[in-house]
Amino acid sequence: MMMMNGEATEAELFLNCADMSVLERQRAQLNYHHLPGFFSNSSTINGGEIDDGFLASAGLDLPEIYGEVHGDARISVSPGNITNESGNSKKRKFGCVDTETKVFNEKKKMMMMDREVEVEEEEEKSKITEQSTKSIMKMKNKAKKEQNSCSNDSSKVTKDSQRTDYIHVRARRGQATDSHSIAERARREKISERMKFLQDLVPGCEKITGKAGMLDEIINYVQSLQRQVEFLSMKLATVSPRLDFNIDDIFAKEVVSAPMMNLPNSVMPPHMMVNSGYPHDMVNSGYVHFNPMQQVVTSSDPLACFNNGQSATMWDSDVQNLYSSLGV
Amino acid sequence: MASADKPINTDVPEKDVFTLHFLQSLSNLRRQNTFNSPEKTNDRVKKIKKAAYVSMARAAGGTNRLWSRALLRRAAKENSKVVRFPRRKKRVTCLRRRRSNRRDPVEEEEAERLRNLVPGGGGMETSKLMEETAHYIKCLSMQVKVMQCLVDGLAPK
Repeated sequence: MMMMNGEATEAELFLNCADMSVLERQRAQLNYHHLPGFFSNSSTINGGEIDDGFLASAGLDLPEIYGEVHGDARISVSPGNITNESGNSKKRKFGCVDTETKVFNEKKKMMMMDREVEVEEEEEKSKITEQSTKSIMKMKNKAKKEQNSCSNDSSKVTKDSQRTDYIHVRARRGQATDSHSIAERARREKISERMKFLQDLVPGCEKITGKAGMLDEIINYVQSLQRQVEFLSMKLATVSPRLDFNIDDIFAKEVVSAPMMNLPNSVMPPHMMVNSGYPHDMVNSGYVHFNPMQQVVTSSDPLACFNNGQSATMWDSDVQNLYSSLGV
Repeated sequence: MASADKPINTDVPEKDVFTLHFLQSLSNLRRQNTFNSPEKTNDRVKKIKKAAYVSMARAAGGTNRLWSRALLRRAAKENSKVVRFPRRKKRVTCLRRRRSNRRDPVEEEEAERLRNLVPGGGGMETSKLMEETAHYIKCLSMQVKVMQCLVDGLAPK
């Protein structure tokens, strides 16, 4: 929305570069050439002094923000950085100018967040020269943000800083000190760590190294496990109407009578047996006091045992409630 | 965000816990009168499957895990029962606001598929999703073992 006139409009035009034609862009650039120390496209700017002088003349004594050009770099603008970064302002190297030009060119290819630009523009409508250039610097920095990702935090922070001061944070070349990029990197490390963990879990995944292939394997494995559950439940459904299903009642009965503490000990050895591949033994010895299947008691007794209040004492009442309410 | 993260805790209870929960839910099912009629096998299958998942969720840590909470909530919704869970310290809704931080479109496609598989995956960040997936895989394999043993034990000689 171009409701401003004067040079602020040019700034607006200038910043919505992605939509502009080359001619408009050049026009905008020309209009700003007269402003000292502003235009960086022609890398004539001496990264050190001019900017310092410019800012000093504006009454601000703040270091610059030069963002990284790489894809995951970001700029953080936070009031807390002022004291740290002012010490670094003298470390400005000429190389930073190059990054600035590169960023500048990058920004031309991008969409801007119009909303914030407009807000800034309107606020600075009155003070044209210095303020507009400062806003352009700020908007350039914001462009670098857009280049990477929009996060609500950074926009909020810029708005705050816009009202108070212009806070510029210097970033080292080749590295982003932005809190967002640091967070991003930490997050990526977390994810890769978890991928490694998952790789140990899923059988047969040692050779696959890529993240995408690994994720594919994991997805396949989860799907296969779920299918197995479904298949086994089908099998159980066919088996269940038989009388032998009372096993579980007997088991439950025995569980009820035996104190809970004994259970782990009694069931422990079967695990080792299962691991060596003897499922039948597990079923048999897991049910410790349990008669072999052929000697199953008739259905009525264990059922009655289980149905009375004994079970309630055994299990948590909420577990009972949960299972009954869920209908399983 | 800190580099010093708590170690990933994916401890899963022993097999007997799973067995007990599953057997209890099965016996609850048996108590239903309509359960054992031989005609309605499909219903039985579905019920058993649901019982398996619910008992697994319960055995694996009840409401302490995101995926088990989601599973139980889903099961309760099917029965149009509202199950109240105790409030956790971290609200899951906080994570939703940070959704914009999850980038990297290549990875997100896969993560999307994973989210569809793991219950409750929609509200999680990718790293959290991985944790939950690991725990879910462990519990699923445990449940499969339990059911396999049961089936083998009950299989006709």
